[in-house]
Amino acid sequence: MTQAGTQQRCPKCGDVLGAGGSCARCLLGLGLGGDSGPELFVTGAKESTPPPAPEELAPFFPQYELVELVGRGGMGAVYKAVQKGLQRTVAIKVLPADAAKDPAFAERFTREERALARLDHPNIVDIYDSGIAGGLYYFVMEFVDGANLRQMVRAGKVEPKQALSIVSQVCEALQYAHEEGIVHRDIKPENILVDRRGRVKIADFGLAKLLGAAQTDLTLTRTQQAMGTPHYMAPEQWEKPAEVDHRADIYALGVVFYELLTGELPLGRFAPPSHKLQVDVKVDEVVLKSLAKEPALRYQSASAVRTDVDRIAAAPPTPPATELRRGCVGGLLHRLAFAFNPAPNPRKKLYGMELASNWIPVGLATFLWYSAWLTDSFFLFLAAFFGTILLVRNVK
Amino acid sequence: MTESGRRADTPFLTTRWSMIAAAGRAGTPEARAALSDLCATYWYPLYAYVRRRGHGPDDAHDLTQAFFARVLEKNVVHAADPSRGRFRAFLLGSLKNFLANEWDRGHAHKRGGGTATLSLDFELADERFSREPATPLTPEMEYERNWALAVLDRALARLESEYARRGKQTLFATLKPALVAAEDEGSRAVMGHALGMTEGAVKVALHRLRAAFRESLRQEIVDTVGPGGDPEDELRNLITALGHPSQAS
Repeated sequence: MTQAGTQQRCPKCGDVLGAGGSCARCLLGLGLGGDSGPELFVTGAKESTPPPAPEELAPFFPQYELVELVGRGGMGAVYKAVQKGLQRTVAIKVLPADAAKDPAFAERFTREERALARLDHPNIVDIYDSGIAGGLYYFVMEFVDGANLRQMVRAGKVEPKQALSIVSQVCEALQYAHEEGIVHRDIKPENILVDRRGRVKIADFGLAKLLGAAQTDLTLTRTQQAMGTPHYMAPEQWEKPAEVDHRADIYALGVVFYELLTGELPLGRFAPPSHKLQVDVKVDEVVLKSLAKEPALRYQSASAVRTDVDRIAAAPPTPPATELRRGCVGGLLHRLAFAFNPAPNPRKKLYGMELASNWIPVGLATFLWYSAWLTDSFFLFLAAFFGTILLVRNVK
Repeated sequence: MTESGRRADTPFLTTRWSMIAAAGRAGTPEARAALSDLCATYWYPLYAYVRRRGHGPDDAHDLTQAFFARVLEKNVVHAADPSRGRFRAFLLGSLKNFLANEWDRGHAHKRGGGTATLSLDFELADERFSREPATPLTPEMEYERNWALAVLDRALARLESEYARRGKQTLFATLKPALVAAEDEGSRAVMGHALGMTEGAVKVALHRLRAAFRESLRQEIVDTVGPGGDPEDELRNLITALGHPSQAS
């Protein structure tokens, strides 16, 4: 409707008002609504009110049958629904009523819907429709039948091999979005969904920064809001929010990757993944490079991450290092050796040398013990030392 | 619409559409009155449809009048099975048939154009039509949308006349904007001040107004769906017909 801009709009549903100054949609909706009508969830009488029940929303989505509330988060509540005409299952994401009153929130919503509308990729949740209904911003999206990575990590369901596959697919989607000039800026396990066939779908390009849309960005930075989820935010998102680019997503991806593998966040001086589970040590390098503090030292593109991850996934399975360490006397000694150096520098590439240096105190102890009462203790020590070197090579 | 609003006081023991249908080919005076009343309410969507199909104002005036003349005088209702369809669909279907056969204005004139069966205010209609924004909607979608608005107008008019009958015009006029607005304590206090009522009394009055409006709307819809029709389903259709809010931007 071309004249819509100059017409009065309903403050609740955003529809153009009729000549009588009342909103036809809301009035007709009243006919379907419960006793107190639609204001039940629009007035926001209580702060941070729970999301409306499906039946409360139903009058505003006559073309959908709302099935159930399937999730809620900082950016709104998500309902499973069936589009009546096409009989297809969709997800309807609705912003909380009190958030809809905040112009900044509304702006972020508009950004999300526009960003999503521009994206068309098998690993990105499709958006079918969006708008404002019953005073609530919403969009209708592809329904992903599966789980998000947070749920999968909690359930302990992610095998290293699967983690590699997931990260590879996330990279593919990010590369596409980055090429489109869209940075997600809030990559986290909750926003990465995996359907029952193992396909990854990224949701919530809500904080997407449209490169080149500087004007809009000004208003957002003016609010001085640190947007994003703290643990997954790249250092520059804290320090220089205006300079954030696609490499912030690569940092967040590094955090997600680490968490997928280990179930923990890479906080402080964290152990590389290969120290915590049976995984190729090359994975350590991918994770650490993604997590570099300086964007310039990180991978410069999601496709570069993907190349390395795919190479690791395609490589013949390396001897499971941890098993070796755990399964023999050498493994026990290895742990003992690490007891002397509990925080190895994970960035050190000469890992074998480091292991060897860790073994020196063990060797010395052996030497002293034997030299006290055996003449051939020197040979025993040599045997132990070279045995160690061999073991270290195997481990590597 | 106000005229039809005044007429809306008459109680309806059965749905008017089903009554018309029951009267069938022979027709009864009551059925004809009911049909005439319904047509008087819902003629604008039909007129707008004729205009959207490309007819100029003069042609459209004649065609609309001729169409109603045919519906009311020749009693075409029996041609359709009203128990299977809604009045909305029936009228549009009949109009389409009519337009297909009566495309010639002269023909239309002969059929009854110019002889006013219903008193239709074309001046107002033309003004309204000229104010309609350009839309990507098809004439059919536009018809449904106009129909939804007509249902709403009629339900509100019915409600207003009901309040007026009880001498509560001021109450209705004051509370009407709050029918769907998100009222809070403050706005209730303002309305209460204007009406000389306490905030609590305003709350109760609003609650009653909403309930009465729902009933009025339901009654209006029941009137236009067939005997086996589901008013709620029709209401959902009407909301859908209003189009998507985002289409308005």
